[in-house]
Amino acid sequence: MKSMRFLTALAAALISAGLARAETVTLDLVGPISDYKIYVSEKLDKLVEDTKAFTGAVKAGDVARAKALFAPTRQSYEAIEPIAELFSDLDSAIDSRADDHEKAEADPSFTGFHRIEFGLWTKNSTDGLNSFADKLLNDVTELRKRIVDLPLPPEKVVGGAAALMEEVAATKISGEEDRYSHTDLWDFRGNFDGAYKIVELVRPLIAQKEEDFLKGVDDNFNRINATLSKYKEGEGYVSYEKLSEADRKVLAAAVNKLAEDLSTLRAKLGLD
Amino acid sequence: MRSRSRHSEAGGSVGNNHGRRVFLKALGFAAACPFARAAAANADSERPEPRGRVTDAPVADAVTASDRTPFYGVRQAGVTTARPANGMIASFDVVAESIDGLERLFRRLTERAAFLTSGGLAPVADPRLPPPDSGLLGPIIRPDALTVTLSLGASLFDDRPWLTAHKPRRLSRMARFPNDALNRRICHGDLALQICANTRDAALHALRDIIKHCSDQLVLKWKQEGDVPVLAPGSGAPAESARNFLGFRDGSANPDASDLDLMDRLVWVGPARDEPRWATGGSYQVVRIIRNFVERWDRTPLREQERIMGRAKMSGAPLDKPDAGEFAVPDYASDPLGKLTTLDAHIRLANPRSGGDKESLILRRPFNYSNGVTNAGQLDQGLLFICYQADLEKGFIAIQNRLNGEPLEEYIKPVGGGYFFALPGARDVSDYLGSALIAAVREGSSRTSH
Repeated sequence: MKSMRFLTALAAALISAGLARAETVTLDLVGPISDYKIYVSEKLDKLVEDTKAFTGAVKAGDVARAKALFAPTRQSYEAIEPIAELFSDLDSAIDSRADDHEKAEADPSFTGFHRIEFGLWTKNSTDGLNSFADKLLNDVTELRKRIVDLPLPPEKVVGGAAALMEEVAATKISGEEDRYSHTDLWDFRGNFDGAYKIVELVRPLIAQKEEDFLKGVDDNFNRINATLSKYKEGEGYVSYEKLSEADRKVLAAAVNKLAEDLSTLRAKLGLD
Repeated sequence: MRSRSRHSEAGGSVGNNHGRRVFLKALGFAAACPFARAAAANADSERPEPRGRVTDAPVADAVTASDRTPFYGVRQAGVTTARPANGMIASFDVVAESIDGLERLFRRLTERAAFLTSGGLAPVADPRLPPPDSGLLGPIIRPDALTVTLSLGASLFDDRPWLTAHKPRRLSRMARFPNDALNRRICHGDLALQICANTRDAALHALRDIIKHCSDQLVLKWKQEGDVPVLAPGSGAPAESARNFLGFRDGSANPDASDLDLMDRLVWVGPARDEPRWATGGSYQVVRIIRNFVERWDRTPLREQERIMGRAKMSGAPLDKPDAGEFAVPDYASDPLGKLTTLDAHIRLANPRSGGDKESLILRRPFNYSNGVTNAGQLDQGLLFICYQADLEKGFIAIQNRLNGEPLEEYIKPVGGGYFFALPGARDVSDYLGSALIAAVREGSSRTSH
């Protein structure tokens, strides 16, 4: 019996040896993941608070104030988009674009930030936006509620860095996201900050082994920061329409390269 | 006439399919990397063997996935190489603010093109990582006659002060011709890749590989895929030009690519031309996306179609020699009033055969494209026109200026494309595409700094 138990233990040890590295790293991720959880709840708190002010302005008929609050309010959402997207019903209600809907702007299922953006900028009015404002505030509040108790899967958190770059590469670099207000550069900032946060949190775990990789990633984030900083204005950014063609290319190349590089981050941390 | 099949790896020793299979088997076709050995067998031939007219229709069963077009050579493949069934142009913006950056891009493109065109095992990695290969072609990447031809647009030179002085003399931004309706989203570019292969998948696999490996320096701007109808096997001995979407044979008057002296005069930039020295062995590439109004064309009487083109639709014969076949040379001198071939017929304007226009011949290498449906509910079909010439101005531009106002314009509308300069080839594994340009820039800057 004793020897039998010994053999079983030995076999288990041998089997787990192959996975040892992965398990150790997953354990190492406990700290970064809980830090990220705090980051997400801070962003969600800010999102709810800012959305209250934004939708309040809409309901008060204050077009100028609503316009001014639109882009900064969205930034918190953009920074944690991969987590928000875990709930596709809410993501669609909060952040879908007209072309996600068959009847575009006229489609009753088109709600959320971009529906209000459409009214504010295209019609320069808050007419008819009350119900959309109420719904948006309900939806972001519900989002916070759902995420508070959500255990964050490590691969979703780590994979979120690449997911944010994929978002920018696939649908944002073209200026299609905020097509009525052209506040896309604010969104970019949110997306880049959210991705960089994840890199920062896991950096200590791979700093030694992946020096070249991290240098490449940092170079591209720096390139993005330098490019975006040319377009800074007050607390935010100028219109996307002012982004030069040359700078758009530089951003696109850096985003594509970050999407390539960050797609390996999960594996570098031993995640499957 | 040389062998019509495209098995350059088998040299001239194998004249049919059966023979080639035996040959490849002897090389160890089932071994891990069959193509490397096939490549070695071909080491003495630097260039793909040209096959008469570039525009001859490919023949089904005469091509296989193991067809390999040598990548290395003093000239790039994909220019005088017989056209396979599929081709595309992908145009990119380049992010390279220094000569070192541009060299890095050229070296990487060369490395990818060399690998993809010779084939081998698809690279694999830890399954927790994204796979290094798209997997489109399975575990073994078969070359499938793939060619990747690299060319540069005027904007690459114009937008970079350190490069401007080295621009090929006749390279310009494509300007609008009277019948053009250019859509800026499918025009121009810093760099173009012409990717051709027996199958669409091989071409797309190559494009995706290159995008993946060059994402920090290449931003895709536009692309257009096309293909040519493949002839059924055994459909007859004489070669015939593939048909375009107007239903006409296209390429009957194309110069013979197996005439190397002719190619040196018409297609390749030689040392005697007043071009930068680095450009020797390159060629001007013109790309035009020409929409065909096919519904309207199909509602046009046959005789009128033939008058507009100057050829018989089915046989391709010139109208003054209706029984002579498509390769017969029309005799316009005997028809000065245009009674047989109207004076504004497409082929007569394009190539008046008056003796004085020898210089203005081009080598056409077009593909047909079919993209979907227009807003008006018509088919979006046409010609991905590609041609090569040693002199852009005396070549395409002169010809198009003669064609301006031709009756065919009612049925066609150029909507995109651009002018590019196809680089000289990479001589061997120690060389890379664009090396002569990079060396010229470095030499120039060291000269001015002394």
